[in-house]
Amino acid sequence: MLVGAAVVVCTFALAQARIFEPSVPAASAAAGGDVYRGESVFQRECAGCHGGGGVGGGVGPRLSGAGIDATAVTAAIRQGRGVMPAGLVSGHDEADVIAYVISISTP
Amino acid sequence: MVLGDVSETYTDLVTTVFSSTIAAKAWLASAALVLALVQVTTAARIYGRLSFLPERGPAISRLHRWSGRLAFLLTLPVFFHCVTILGFRTPDTRVAVHSLVGTFFYGVFVAKVLIVRDRSLSGWALPTAGLTLASILGVLWLTSSLWYFTTVRFGL
Repeated sequence: MLVGAAVVVCTFALAQARIFEPSVPAASAAAGGDVYRGESVFQRECAGCHGGGGVGGGVGPRLSGAGIDATAVTAAIRQGRGVMPAGLVSGHDEADVIAYVISISTP
Repeated sequence: MVLGDVSETYTDLVTTVFSSTIAAKAWLASAALVLALVQVTTAARIYGRLSFLPERGPAISRLHRWSGRLAFLLTLPVFFHCVTILGFRTPDTRVAVHSLVGTFFYGVFVAKVLIVRDRSLSGWALPTAGLTLASILGVLWLTSSLWYFTTVRFGL
């Protein structure tokens, strides 16, 4: 029992430490979005054209490693670009997607 | 190697098979849950229940042991991503429940494995630990994989 309790404590400590958490660029933090939730929204709304993980899907350009900043992502979402319709996501979803796209686009 | 690079390497590795790290976790957890059900079923047979299943014997015991080992292995990548990259979070009820219950998973797992080897404990200890572990996995699956399959997408 004690060993099990010790493992629970260690797991919690490890979860609090998040030792392998990638450093999210300041721009995405400033947008107030949640990268993790953004990944879910991205998979649902954006991956069809931009590919899973933003690696490019034939229709939309590759976003992964593309070095796009928050302003450009926000503009593309709100105004649309090419075949991409404007306002595909909004509100919290928009902030989350921006945070996620920034996190994957950092080279 | 910078610690953040480990996360990136993990993501690159996982996305060679799955569309995203979340999809990978959803499917690995689902496979682990199926194996957990095999665990519960075979354990029940070992304890003399579910007599419609094949005779108790070495085959059932072997199936029980290997399904457990495989289920444990399948949870490791999920553990790595959930604990070392995402960490303990409470942004909403689902994630809070998932984080809290997930914290106990490996503690209960270790307790269960130790109980298997401890002959001095009473007979109800092992089934209780096993069912608790399977229940925890069930809750974790409901608050992650099921959510992913129903609200994000059902696919690799």
